[in-house]
Amino acid sequence: MTAQLIINGLSLGAVYALIAVGFAIIFNILKFSNFAHGGFMTVTAYAGFLATRFWHTSLLATLLIASLAGGLLGLLAELVAFRRIRNNKSPVIYYFVSSITLGMLLENLMTIFFSTNFYSYPNFFPVNTIKLGRLIIGVPDLIMFCISTLALIILAIIIYRTKLGTALRSVSYDLDTSGLMGINVLRIIQLAFFLAGFLGGISGVFLGISYTLYPQLGQMVVKGFIASVIGGLGSLEGAVTGAFLLGMVEIFLIRLVGSGISPVFIFIIMLLFLLVRPRGIAGSHIQEKA
Amino acid sequence: MDLLISVLTFTAINVIAVTGVFVLTGLTGLFSLGQAAFMGIGAYVAGLMAVKYNFPFILAAVGAISIGLVAGLIVGLPTIRLRRDYISLVTFGFGEAIAALLNQAVNVTGGATGLSGIPKQTTLTLAIVSAVVCLILVWGFKNSRYGRQCLALRSDELAARSMGIDVNRVKMTAFLLSAAITTYAGVLYGFYTTYVEPVMFGWTKSAEWIIMVFFGGVNSLTGAIFASAFLTGMPEILRAAAEWRIVAYCVIVLLILNFKPTGLFGEYEISLLALWRHLGTRKKGVDRP
Repeated sequence: MTAQLIINGLSLGAVYALIAVGFAIIFNILKFSNFAHGGFMTVTAYAGFLATRFWHTSLLATLLIASLAGGLLGLLAELVAFRRIRNNKSPVIYYFVSSITLGMLLENLMTIFFSTNFYSYPNFFPVNTIKLGRLIIGVPDLIMFCISTLALIILAIIIYRTKLGTALRSVSYDLDTSGLMGINVLRIIQLAFFLAGFLGGISGVFLGISYTLYPQLGQMVVKGFIASVIGGLGSLEGAVTGAFLLGMVEIFLIRLVGSGISPVFIFIIMLLFLLVRPRGIAGSHIQEKA
Repeated sequence: MDLLISVLTFTAINVIAVTGVFVLTGLTGLFSLGQAAFMGIGAYVAGLMAVKYNFPFILAAVGAISIGLVAGLIVGLPTIRLRRDYISLVTFGFGEAIAALLNQAVNVTGGATGLSGIPKQTTLTLAIVSAVVCLILVWGFKNSRYGRQCLALRSDELAARSMGIDVNRVKMTAFLLSAAITTYAGVLYGFYTTYVEPVMFGWTKSAEWIIMVFFGGVNSLTGAIFASAFLTGMPEILRAAAEWRIVAYCVIVLLILNFKPTGLFGEYEISLLALWRHLGTRKKGVDRP
Protein backbone atom coordinates (compact mmCIF):
# COMPACT_ATOMS: atom_id res chain seq x y z
CA MET A 1 0.00 0.00 0.00
CA THR A 2 2.73 2.41 1.00
CA ALA A 3 4.77 1.56 -2.11
CA GLN A 4 1.71 2.33 -4.22
CA LEU A 5 1.29 5.69 -2.51
CA ILE A 6 4.97 6.50 -3.06
CA ILE A 7 4.63 5.74 -6.77
CA ASN A 8 1.56 7.94 -7.06
CA GLY A 9 3.31 10.66 -5.08
CA LEU A 10 6.35 10.54 -7.34
CA SER A 11 4.34 10.90 -10.51
CA LEU A 12 2.35 13.78 -9.07
CA GLY A 13 5.59 15.31 -7.78
CA ALA A 14 7.17 15.12 -11.23
CA VAL A 15 4.46 17.30 -12.73
CA TYR A 16 4.67 19.70 -9.79
CA ALA A 17 8.44 19.79 -10.30
CA LEU A 18 7.99 20.96 -13.89
CA ILE A 19 5.67 23.72 -12.75
CA ALA A 20 7.92 24.68 -9.86
CA VAL A 21 11.05 24.85 -12.00
CA GLY A 22 9.33 26.97 -14.63
CA PHE A 23 8.28 29.22 -11.81
CA ALA A 24 11.73 29.23 -10.20
CA ILE A 25 13.65 30.11 -13.38
CA ILE A 26 11.91 33.45 -13.57
CA PHE A 27 12.27 33.97 -9.86
CA ASN A 28 15.98 33.33 -10.18
CA ILE A 29 16.47 36.05 -12.73
CA LEU A 30 14.00 38.76 -11.82
CA LYS A 31 13.30 37.86 -8.16
CA PHE A 32 9.54 37.76 -8.35
CA SER A 33 6.92 35.04 -8.21
CA ASN A 34 5.58 34.72 -11.73
CA PHE A 35 1.90 33.98 -11.42
CA ALA A 36 1.49 34.39 -15.17
CA HIS A 37 3.03 30.93 -15.36
CA GLY A 38 -0.44 29.51 -14.73
CA GLY A 39 -1.64 31.39 -17.79
CA PHE A 40 1.20 29.88 -19.85
CA MET A 41 0.12 26.42 -18.77
CA THR A 42 -3.53 27.03 -19.64
CA VAL A 43 -2.79 28.47 -23.07
CA THR A 44 -0.32 25.73 -23.96
CA ALA A 45 -2.68 23.02 -22.76
CA TYR A 46 -5.27 24.33 -25.20
CA ALA A 47 -2.64 24.69 -27.93
CA GLY A 48 -1.67 21.04 -27.51
CA PHE A 49 -5.33 20.07 -27.51
CA LEU A 50 -5.95 21.90 -30.79
CA ALA A 51 -2.95 20.14 -32.31
CA THR A 52 -4.34 16.75 -31.39
CA ARG A 53 -7.75 17.68 -32.66
CA PHE A 54 -6.74 19.06 -36.04
CA TRP A 55 -3.55 17.21 -36.86
CA HIS A 56 -4.01 14.10 -34.73
CA THR A 57 -0.51 14.51 -33.41
CA SER A 58 1.27 11.90 -31.32
CA LEU A 59 2.10 12.61 -27.70
CA LEU A 60 5.63 13.77 -28.45
CA ALA A 61 4.55 16.06 -31.27
CA THR A 62 1.81 17.48 -29.07
CA LEU A 63 4.31 18.16 -26.32
CA LEU A 64 6.66 19.82 -28.78
CA ILE A 65 3.97 22.05 -30.26
CA ALA A 66 2.65 23.00 -26.84
CA SER A 67 6.07 23.78 -25.43
CA LEU A 68 7.11 25.84 -28.44
CA ALA A 69 3.87 27.75 -28.09
CA GLY A 70 4.71 28.18 -24.42
CA GLY A 71 8.19 29.42 -25.23
CA LEU A 72 6.85 32.01 -27.67
CA LEU A 73 4.21 33.03 -25.18
CA GLY A 74 6.94 33.50 -22.58
CA LEU A 75 8.83 35.82 -24.94
CA LEU A 76 5.65 37.74 -25.66
CA ALA A 77 4.86 38.03 -21.97
CA GLU A 78 8.30 39.43 -21.26
CA LEU A 79 7.80 42.04 -23.95
CA VAL A 80 4.27 43.01 -22.98
CA ALA A 81 4.22 42.79 -19.23
CA PHE A 82 7.72 42.95 -17.83
CA ARG A 83 10.16 44.79 -20.08
CA ARG A 84 8.94 48.28 -19.37
CA ILE A 85 8.78 47.54 -15.68
CA ARG A 86 12.43 46.54 -15.78
CA ASN A 87 13.36 49.59 -17.82
CA ASN A 88 11.52 51.81 -15.37
CA LYS A 89 13.44 50.13 -12.56
CA SER A 90 10.16 49.77 -10.66
CA PRO A 91 10.17 47.85 -7.37
CA VAL A 92 9.90 44.07 -7.61
CA ILE A 93 6.32 44.26 -6.38
CA TYR A 94 5.27 45.59 -9.79
CA TYR A 95 6.44 42.46 -11.55
CA PHE A 96 4.37 40.46 -9.12
CA VAL A 97 1.20 42.47 -9.74
CA SER A 98 1.84 42.55 -13.46
CA SER A 99 2.24 38.76 -13.56
CA ILE A 100 -0.99 38.15 -11.66
CA THR A 101 -2.82 40.46 -14.07
CA LEU A 102 -1.30 38.75 -17.09
CA GLY A 103 -2.31 35.36 -15.67
CA MET A 104 -5.90 36.57 -15.25
CA LEU A 105 -5.85 38.00 -18.78
CA LEU A 106 -4.72 34.72 -20.35
CA GLU A 107 -7.22 32.73 -18.31
CA ASN A 108 -10.09 34.96 -19.41
CA LEU A 109 -9.01 34.94 -23.05
CA MET A 110 -9.18 31.17 -22.92
CA THR A 111 -12.65 31.42 -21.38
CA ILE A 112 -13.74 33.61 -24.25
CA PHE A 113 -12.35 31.43 -27.01
CA PHE A 114 -13.17 28.02 -25.58
CA SER A 115 -16.01 28.87 -23.17
CA THR A 116 -16.09 27.13 -19.82
CA ASN A 117 -16.69 23.76 -21.46
CA PHE A 118 -14.54 20.84 -20.42
CA TYR A 119 -12.42 19.24 -23.11
CA SER A 120 -10.29 16.17 -22.78
CA TYR A 121 -7.21 14.96 -24.60
CA PRO A 122 -7.52 11.86 -26.72
CA ASN A 123 -6.10 8.73 -25.18
CA PHE A 124 -2.46 8.50 -26.23
CA PHE A 125 -1.77 5.18 -24.61
CA PRO A 126 -2.81 1.73 -25.85
CA VAL A 127 -2.52 0.26 -22.35
CA ASN A 128 -3.54 2.34 -19.38
CA THR A 129 -2.10 0.44 -16.46
CA ILE A 130 0.76 -1.93 -15.82
CA LYS A 131 0.57 -4.40 -12.97
CA LEU A 132 3.79 -5.15 -11.13
CA GLY A 133 2.90 -7.72 -8.50
CA ARG A 134 0.39 -5.88 -6.36
CA LEU A 135 1.43 -2.46 -7.59
CA ILE A 136 -0.61 -0.70 -10.20
CA ILE A 137 1.29 1.84 -12.28
CA GLY A 138 -0.65 4.14 -14.55
CA VAL A 139 1.02 4.35 -17.95
CA PRO A 140 0.26 8.07 -18.32
CA ASP A 141 1.79 8.63 -14.87
CA LEU A 142 4.88 6.64 -15.79
CA ILE A 143 5.39 8.50 -19.06
CA MET A 144 4.80 11.85 -17.36
CA PHE A 145 7.37 10.93 -14.77
CA CYS A 146 9.93 9.94 -17.41
CA ILE A 147 9.39 12.95 -19.67
CA SER A 148 9.35 15.39 -16.77
CA THR A 149 12.56 13.95 -15.38
CA LEU A 150 14.15 14.02 -18.83
CA ALA A 151 13.12 17.63 -19.33
CA LEU A 152 14.58 18.57 -15.95
CA ILE A 153 17.85 16.77 -16.71
CA ILE A 154 18.16 18.53 -20.07
CA LEU A 155 17.44 21.82 -18.33
CA ALA A 156 20.13 21.07 -15.75
CA ILE A 157 22.61 20.35 -18.56
CA ILE A 158 21.71 23.62 -20.28
CA ILE A 159 22.11 25.56 -17.05
CA TYR A 160 25.28 23.96 -15.75
CA ARG A 161 27.15 22.86 -18.87
CA THR A 162 26.60 25.46 -21.55
CA LYS A 163 27.81 29.00 -22.03
CA LEU A 164 24.24 30.29 -22.10
CA GLY A 165 23.61 28.53 -18.82
CA THR A 166 26.63 30.20 -17.25
CA ALA A 167 25.31 33.53 -18.46
CA LEU A 168 21.91 32.66 -17.03
CA ARG A 169 23.42 31.86 -13.67
CA SER A 170 25.52 34.98 -13.56
CA VAL A 171 22.53 37.15 -14.45
CA SER A 172 20.52 35.47 -11.71
CA TYR A 173 23.36 36.24 -9.33
CA ASP A 174 23.64 39.90 -10.20
CA LEU A 175 21.77 41.43 -13.07
CA ASP A 176 23.58 44.74 -13.26
CA THR A 177 27.11 43.49 -12.85
CA SER A 178 26.73 40.76 -15.45
CA GLY A 179 25.43 43.43 -17.79
CA LEU A 180 28.64 45.37 -17.21
CA MET A 181 30.64 42.22 -17.93
CA GLY A 182 29.29 42.17 -21.46
CA ILE A 183 26.41 39.76 -21.08
CA ASN A 184 23.37 40.76 -23.05
CA VAL A 185 21.00 40.81 -20.10
CA LEU A 186 17.88 41.24 -22.21
CA ARG A 187 18.71 38.12 -24.28
CA ILE A 188 19.25 36.11 -21.10
CA ILE A 189 15.98 37.29 -19.61
CA GLN A 190 14.29 36.32 -22.85
CA LEU A 191 15.99 32.94 -22.66
CA ALA A 192 14.66 32.49 -19.13
CA PHE A 193 11.14 33.34 -20.23
CA PHE A 194 11.44 31.01 -23.21
CA LEU A 195 12.63 28.15 -21.01
CA ALA A 196 9.92 28.83 -18.43
CA GLY A 197 7.28 28.91 -21.15
CA PHE A 198 8.69 25.74 -22.68
CA LEU A 199 8.45 23.87 -19.37
CA GLY A 200 5.03 25.45 -18.85
CA GLY A 201 4.01 23.90 -22.15
CA ILE A 202 5.01 20.41 -21.06
CA SER A 203 3.27 20.78 -17.71
CA GLY A 204 0.22 22.24 -19.45
CA VAL A 205 -0.21 19.17 -21.65
CA PHE A 206 0.33 16.84 -18.71
CA LEU A 207 -2.19 18.69 -16.59
CA GLY A 208 -4.59 18.53 -19.51
CA ILE A 209 -4.08 14.77 -19.73
CA SER A 210 -4.42 14.07 -16.01
CA TYR A 211 -7.35 16.40 -15.46
CA THR A 212 -9.60 17.80 -18.13
CA LEU A 213 -9.10 21.05 -19.97
CA TYR A 214 -10.81 24.04 -18.45
CA PRO A 215 -9.83 27.71 -18.34
CA GLN A 216 -8.89 27.64 -14.65
CA LEU A 217 -6.37 24.86 -15.20
CA GLY A 218 -3.60 27.40 -14.71
CA GLN A 219 -4.51 27.84 -11.08
CA MET A 220 -2.45 24.71 -10.53
CA VAL A 221 0.45 27.16 -10.65
CA VAL A 222 -0.01 27.60 -6.91
CA LYS A 223 1.35 24.07 -6.48
CA GLY A 224 4.52 25.22 -8.16
CA PHE A 225 4.49 28.31 -5.98
CA ILE A 226 4.18 26.27 -2.79
CA ALA A 227 6.86 23.85 -3.97
CA SER A 228 9.37 26.49 -4.95
CA VAL A 229 8.85 28.45 -1.74
CA ILE A 230 9.17 25.35 0.43
CA GLY A 231 12.20 24.34 -1.59
CA GLY A 232 13.84 27.68 -1.05
CA LEU A 233 13.22 30.58 -3.42
CA GLY A 234 15.77 30.97 -6.15
CA SER A 235 17.00 27.40 -6.03
CA LEU A 236 16.09 25.09 -8.87
CA GLU A 237 17.18 21.97 -6.98
CA GLY A 238 15.12 23.17 -4.04
CA ALA A 239 12.11 23.62 -6.29
CA VAL A 240 12.40 20.05 -7.52
CA THR A 241 12.83 18.68 -4.00
CA GLY A 242 9.95 20.77 -2.74
CA ALA A 243 7.74 19.58 -5.59
CA PHE A 244 8.36 15.89 -4.97
CA LEU A 245 7.86 16.42 -1.25
CA LEU A 246 4.59 18.24 -1.92
CA GLY A 247 3.42 15.48 -4.26
CA MET A 248 4.15 12.82 -1.62
CA VAL A 249 2.60 14.73 1.24
CA GLU A 250 -0.47 15.44 -0.83
CA ILE A 251 -1.01 11.81 -1.85
CA PHE A 252 -0.54 10.61 1.73
CA LEU A 253 -2.85 13.30 3.11
CA ILE A 254 -5.55 12.48 0.58
CA ARG A 255 -5.26 8.88 1.68
CA LEU A 256 -5.34 9.76 5.37
CA VAL A 257 -7.87 12.58 5.64
CA GLY A 258 -9.52 12.84 2.22
CA SER A 259 -9.02 15.33 -0.58
CA GLY A 260 -11.47 17.94 0.72
CA ILE A 261 -9.81 18.71 3.99
CA SER A 262 -6.19 18.09 2.94
CA PRO A 263 -5.52 21.80 2.09
CA VAL A 264 -5.98 22.55 5.80
CA PHE A 265 -3.30 20.03 6.74
CA ILE A 266 -0.99 21.17 3.96
CA PHE A 267 -1.34 24.69 5.33
CA ILE A 268 -0.50 23.58 8.85
CA ILE A 269 2.50 21.57 7.69
CA MET A 270 3.68 24.49 5.59
CA LEU A 271 3.33 26.87 8.51
CA LEU A 272 5.24 24.58 10.87
CA PHE A 273 7.91 24.04 8.23
CA LEU A 274 8.41 27.75 7.62
CA LEU A 275 8.61 28.37 11.37
CA VAL A 276 11.41 25.83 11.67
CA ARG A 277 13.17 26.71 8.44
CA PRO A 278 12.04 30.08 7.12
CA ARG A 279 14.42 29.96 4.14
CA GLY A 280 13.08 26.73 2.69
CA ILE A 281 14.91 23.46 2.17
CA ALA A 282 17.74 24.62 -0.04
CA GLY A 283 18.06 27.76 2.04
CA SER A 284 19.71 29.81 -0.65
CA HIS A 285 20.46 33.33 0.40
CA ILE A 286 18.64 35.86 -1.63
CA GLN A 287 20.58 39.03 -1.36
CA GLU A 288 17.96 41.48 -0.39
CA LYS A 289 18.08 44.22 2.10
CA ALA A 290 15.77 43.24 4.96
CA MET B 1 -32.56 51.96 -10.50
CA ASP B 2 -32.26 48.70 -8.62
CA LEU B 3 -29.23 47.88 -10.69
CA LEU B 4 -27.67 51.23 -9.89
CA ILE B 5 -28.29 50.73 -6.18
CA SER B 6 -26.79 47.28 -6.23
CA VAL B 7 -23.74 48.43 -8.18
CA LEU B 8 -23.24 51.29 -5.73
CA THR B 9 -23.63 48.99 -2.73
CA PHE B 10 -21.14 46.47 -4.10
CA THR B 11 -18.78 49.30 -4.92
CA ALA B 12 -19.03 50.62 -1.36
CA ILE B 13 -18.37 47.13 0.04
CA ASN B 14 -15.41 46.70 -2.29
CA VAL B 15 -14.06 50.10 -1.30
CA ILE B 16 -14.08 48.89 2.31
CA ALA B 17 -12.24 45.68 1.43
CA VAL B 18 -9.68 47.51 -0.68
CA THR B 19 -9.16 50.03 2.12
CA GLY B 20 -8.22 47.05 4.27
CA VAL B 21 -5.79 45.79 1.65
CA PHE B 22 -4.39 49.31 1.31
CA VAL B 23 -3.33 49.27 4.96
CA LEU B 24 -1.50 46.01 4.42
CA THR B 25 -0.10 46.25 0.90
CA GLY B 26 -0.13 49.94 0.17
CA LEU B 27 1.20 51.19 3.48
CA THR B 28 3.17 48.27 4.83
CA GLY B 29 4.20 46.47 1.65
CA LEU B 30 2.95 43.06 2.80
CA PHE B 31 1.25 40.83 0.26
CA SER B 32 -1.68 38.81 1.42
CA LEU B 33 -3.05 36.32 -1.07
CA GLY B 34 -5.49 35.16 1.58
CA GLN B 35 -7.15 38.45 2.36
CA ALA B 36 -10.43 37.31 0.81
CA ALA B 37 -10.58 34.58 3.44
CA PHE B 38 -11.22 37.29 6.03
CA MET B 39 -14.14 38.43 3.93
CA GLY B 40 -15.30 34.81 3.97
CA ILE B 41 -14.95 34.67 7.74
CA GLY B 42 -16.96 37.87 8.07
CA ALA B 43 -19.74 36.72 5.78
CA TYR B 44 -19.97 33.23 7.23
CA VAL B 45 -19.62 33.98 10.94
CA ALA B 46 -22.07 36.86 10.85
CA GLY B 47 -24.37 34.97 8.53
CA LEU B 48 -24.41 31.90 10.76
CA MET B 49 -25.01 33.98 13.87
CA ALA B 50 -27.97 35.61 12.16
CA VAL B 51 -29.38 32.48 10.52
CA LYS B 52 -28.97 30.04 13.38
CA TYR B 53 -29.28 32.22 16.48
CA ASN B 54 -31.15 35.29 15.20
CA PHE B 55 -28.50 37.74 16.33
CA PRO B 56 -29.14 41.33 15.25
CA PHE B 57 -26.79 42.84 12.66
CA ILE B 58 -24.65 44.80 15.12
CA LEU B 59 -23.93 41.82 17.39
CA ALA B 60 -23.27 39.57 14.42
CA ALA B 61 -20.84 42.13 13.01
CA VAL B 62 -19.03 42.46 16.33
CA GLY B 63 -18.85 38.68 16.66
CA ALA B 64 -17.52 38.26 13.14
CA ILE B 65 -14.90 40.97 13.57
CA SER B 66 -13.69 39.38 16.82
CA ILE B 67 -13.31 36.01 15.09
CA GLY B 68 -11.59 37.78 12.19
CA LEU B 69 -9.15 39.40 14.63
CA VAL B 70 -8.40 36.07 16.29
CA ALA B 71 -7.78 34.50 12.88
CA GLY B 72 -5.62 37.50 11.97
CA LEU B 73 -3.59 37.00 15.13
CA ILE B 74 -3.11 33.29 14.43
CA VAL B 75 -1.90 33.87 10.86
CA GLY B 76 -0.12 37.10 11.64
CA LEU B 77 2.10 35.89 14.47
CA PRO B 78 4.19 33.48 12.39
CA THR B 79 3.85 35.50 9.20
CA ILE B 80 5.28 38.85 10.16
CA ARG B 81 8.74 37.41 10.71
CA LEU B 82 8.97 36.09 7.16
CA ARG B 83 10.20 37.51 3.87
CA ARG B 84 7.83 38.86 1.26
CA ASP B 85 7.15 35.81 -0.88
CA TYR B 86 6.83 33.63 2.18
CA ILE B 87 4.20 35.99 3.56
CA SER B 88 2.24 35.60 0.34
CA LEU B 89 2.58 31.84 0.63
CA VAL B 90 1.42 31.61 4.24
CA THR B 91 -1.53 33.92 3.71
CA PHE B 92 -2.35 32.04 0.54
CA GLY B 93 -2.32 28.73 2.43
CA PHE B 94 -4.50 30.30 5.08
CA GLY B 95 -7.02 31.35 2.44
CA GLU B 96 -7.11 27.89 0.91
CA ALA B 97 -7.42 26.28 4.34
CA ILE B 98 -10.41 28.48 5.21
CA ALA B 99 -12.02 27.70 1.86
CA ALA B 100 -11.48 23.97 2.46
CA LEU B 101 -12.96 24.24 5.96
CA LEU B 102 -16.01 26.09 4.64
CA ASN B 103 -16.43 23.42 1.98
CA GLN B 104 -16.02 20.51 4.38
CA ALA B 105 -18.02 21.61 7.40
CA VAL B 106 -21.22 20.77 5.57
CA ASN B 107 -23.34 20.57 8.73
CA VAL B 108 -22.45 24.08 9.79
CA THR B 109 -21.79 26.04 6.63
CA GLY B 110 -23.75 24.10 4.05
CA GLY B 111 -20.53 23.12 2.28
CA ALA B 112 -20.18 23.85 -1.41
CA THR B 113 -23.87 24.62 -1.81
CA GLY B 114 -23.34 27.68 0.35
CA LEU B 115 -25.15 29.37 3.17
CA SER B 116 -28.46 30.95 2.33
CA GLY B 117 -31.22 32.73 4.17
CA ILE B 118 -29.12 35.49 5.69
CA PRO B 119 -31.46 38.41 6.39
CA LYS B 120 -31.00 41.28 3.96
CA GLN B 121 -29.94 44.07 6.26
CA THR B 122 -27.23 45.90 4.33
CA THR B 123 -28.68 48.97 2.70
CA LEU B 124 -26.94 51.41 0.40
CA THR B 125 -26.89 53.97 3.20
CA LEU B 126 -25.31 51.54 5.66
CA ALA B 127 -22.70 50.49 3.09
CA ILE B 128 -21.76 54.07 2.26
CA VAL B 129 -21.68 55.17 5.88
CA SER B 130 -19.51 52.15 6.73
CA ALA B 131 -17.19 52.93 3.84
CA VAL B 132 -16.80 56.51 5.01
CA VAL B 133 -16.13 55.42 8.59
CA CYS B 134 -13.52 52.91 7.43
CA LEU B 135 -11.90 55.52 5.22
CA ILE B 136 -11.67 57.98 8.10
CA LEU B 137 -10.21 55.24 10.28
CA VAL B 138 -7.57 54.30 7.71
CA TRP B 139 -6.86 57.92 6.88
CA GLY B 140 -6.25 58.51 10.57
CA PHE B 141 -4.03 55.44 10.71
CA LYS B 142 -2.01 56.56 7.70
CA ASN B 143 -1.36 59.93 9.26
CA SER B 144 -0.67 58.59 12.71
CA ARG B 145 2.67 57.54 14.10
CA TYR B 146 1.86 53.95 13.13
CA GLY B 147 1.10 54.86 9.54
CA ARG B 148 4.39 56.68 9.15
CA GLN B 149 6.21 53.73 10.70
CA CYS B 150 4.46 51.46 8.19
CA LEU B 151 5.68 53.63 5.33
CA ALA B 152 9.17 53.63 6.79
CA LEU B 153 9.37 49.86 6.99
CA ARG B 154 7.89 49.45 3.55
CA SER B 155 10.64 51.44 1.92
CA ASP B 156 13.46 50.00 4.00
CA GLU B 157 12.85 47.52 6.75
CA LEU B 158 16.44 47.45 7.94
CA ALA B 159 16.68 51.21 8.18
CA ALA B 160 13.32 51.36 9.96
CA ARG B 161 14.51 48.79 12.45
CA SER B 162 17.72 50.64 13.11
CA MET B 163 15.75 53.83 13.75
CA GLY B 164 14.16 52.01 16.66
CA ILE B 165 10.86 51.08 15.04
CA ASP B 166 9.40 47.88 16.44
CA VAL B 167 8.90 46.39 12.98
CA ASN B 168 7.05 43.27 14.07
CA ARG B 169 4.61 45.23 16.17
CA VAL B 170 3.87 47.70 13.41
CA LYS B 171 3.34 44.88 10.91
CA MET B 172 1.03 43.13 13.34
CA THR B 173 -1.01 46.29 13.91
CA ALA B 174 -1.40 46.79 10.19
CA PHE B 175 -2.27 43.13 9.73
CA LEU B 176 -4.98 43.20 12.41
CA LEU B 177 -6.47 46.48 11.25
CA SER B 178 -6.61 45.16 7.73
CA ALA B 179 -8.15 41.86 8.88
CA ALA B 180 -10.83 43.67 10.88
CA ILE B 181 -11.78 45.96 8.00
CA THR B 182 -11.92 43.13 5.47
CA THR B 183 -13.97 40.98 7.85
CA TYR B 184 -16.44 43.82 8.20
CA ALA B 185 -16.65 44.11 4.40
CA GLY B 186 -17.54 40.41 4.45
CA VAL B 187 -20.28 40.99 7.01
CA LEU B 188 -21.84 43.68 4.82
CA TYR B 189 -21.47 41.43 1.78
CA GLY B 190 -23.20 38.49 3.44
CA PHE B 191 -26.04 40.62 4.72
CA TYR B 192 -26.48 42.13 1.26
CA THR B 193 -26.42 39.08 -1.01
CA THR B 194 -28.20 36.91 1.65
CA TYR B 195 -26.27 33.99 0.17
CA VAL B 196 -22.60 33.07 0.34
CA GLU B 197 -20.56 30.16 -0.98
CA PRO B 198 -16.91 29.25 -0.43
CA VAL B 199 -15.72 29.82 -4.02
CA MET B 200 -16.30 33.57 -3.65
CA PHE B 201 -13.35 33.90 -1.33
CA GLY B 202 -10.45 32.34 -3.24
CA TRP B 203 -7.00 33.80 -3.82
CA THR B 204 -7.93 35.40 -7.14
CA LYS B 205 -10.20 37.77 -5.24
CA SER B 206 -7.32 38.72 -2.95
CA ALA B 207 -5.12 39.21 -6.01
CA GLU B 208 -7.77 41.43 -7.56
CA TRP B 209 -7.74 43.69 -4.49
CA ILE B 210 -3.96 43.98 -4.60
CA ILE B 211 -4.23 44.93 -8.27
CA MET B 212 -6.74 47.63 -7.36
CA VAL B 213 -4.41 49.11 -4.76
CA PHE B 214 -1.60 49.24 -7.31
CA PHE B 215 -3.84 50.60 -9.98
CA GLY B 216 -4.71 53.56 -7.80
CA GLY B 217 -1.20 54.20 -6.57
CA VAL B 218 0.43 52.39 -3.71
CA ASN B 219 0.86 55.39 -1.52
CA SER B 220 -2.45 56.99 -2.14
CA LEU B 221 -5.61 56.19 -0.24
CA THR B 222 -7.44 58.44 -2.69
CA GLY B 223 -6.10 56.28 -5.48
CA ALA B 224 -7.17 53.05 -3.77
CA ILE B 225 -10.71 54.36 -3.34
CA PHE B 226 -10.87 55.60 -6.89
CA ALA B 227 -9.44 52.36 -8.27
CA SER B 228 -11.81 50.14 -6.36
CA ALA B 229 -14.79 52.25 -7.32
CA PHE B 230 -13.68 52.43 -10.94
CA LEU B 231 -12.67 48.80 -11.32
CA THR B 232 -15.81 47.52 -9.58
CA GLY B 233 -18.03 49.85 -11.53
CA MET B 234 -16.32 49.44 -14.89
CA PRO B 235 -17.28 45.79 -15.46
CA GLU B 236 -20.88 46.90 -14.95
CA ILE B 237 -20.50 49.75 -17.42
CA LEU B 238 -18.92 47.39 -19.94
CA ARG B 239 -21.72 44.91 -19.40
CA ALA B 240 -22.60 45.10 -23.09
CA ALA B 241 -19.21 43.64 -23.88
CA ALA B 242 -20.00 40.80 -21.43
CA GLU B 243 -17.10 38.40 -21.70
CA TRP B 244 -14.58 40.94 -22.80
CA ARG B 245 -14.93 43.10 -19.74
CA ILE B 246 -12.45 41.24 -17.58
CA VAL B 247 -10.03 41.23 -20.48
CA ALA B 248 -10.45 44.99 -20.81
CA TYR B 249 -9.93 45.28 -17.08
CA CYS B 250 -6.67 43.33 -17.22
CA VAL B 251 -5.42 45.27 -20.24
CA ILE B 252 -6.11 48.59 -18.55
CA VAL B 253 -4.29 47.44 -15.42
CA LEU B 254 -1.30 46.26 -17.48
CA LEU B 255 -1.19 49.58 -19.33
CA ILE B 256 -1.21 51.48 -16.06
CA LEU B 257 1.51 49.28 -14.58
CA ASN B 258 3.64 49.72 -17.68
CA PHE B 259 3.18 53.37 -18.45
CA LYS B 260 2.34 54.95 -15.12
CA PRO B 261 4.14 52.66 -12.68
CA THR B 262 3.33 54.76 -9.65
CA GLY B 263 -0.35 54.07 -10.23
CA LEU B 264 -2.91 56.62 -11.29
CA PHE B 265 -2.51 58.80 -8.24
CA GLY B 266 1.03 58.04 -7.14
CA GLU B 267 1.42 59.65 -3.76
CA TYR B 268 -1.28 62.19 -4.33
CA GLU B 269 -3.97 62.52 -1.69
CA ILE B 270 -7.03 64.70 -1.81
CA SER B 271 -6.64 66.80 1.25
CA LEU B 272 -9.22 69.31 2.36
CA LEU B 273 -6.70 71.11 4.49
CA ALA B 274 -4.26 71.62 1.62
CA LEU B 275 -7.09 72.74 -0.62
CA TRP B 276 -8.22 75.27 1.95
CA ARG B 277 -4.70 76.56 2.49
CA HIS B 278 -4.18 76.83 -1.22
CA LEU B 279 -7.34 78.90 -1.61
CA GLY B 280 -6.47 80.95 1.47
CA THR B 281 -3.04 81.97 0.24
CA ARG B 282 -4.41 82.86 -3.13
CA LYS B 283 -7.07 85.14 -1.72
CA LYS B 284 -4.87 87.04 0.63
CA GLY B 285 -1.89 86.97 -1.67
CA VAL B 286 0.38 86.17 1.25
CA ASP B 287 3.68 84.50 0.47
CA ARG B 288 4.22 81.28 2.27
CA PRO B 289 7.21 81.32 4.58
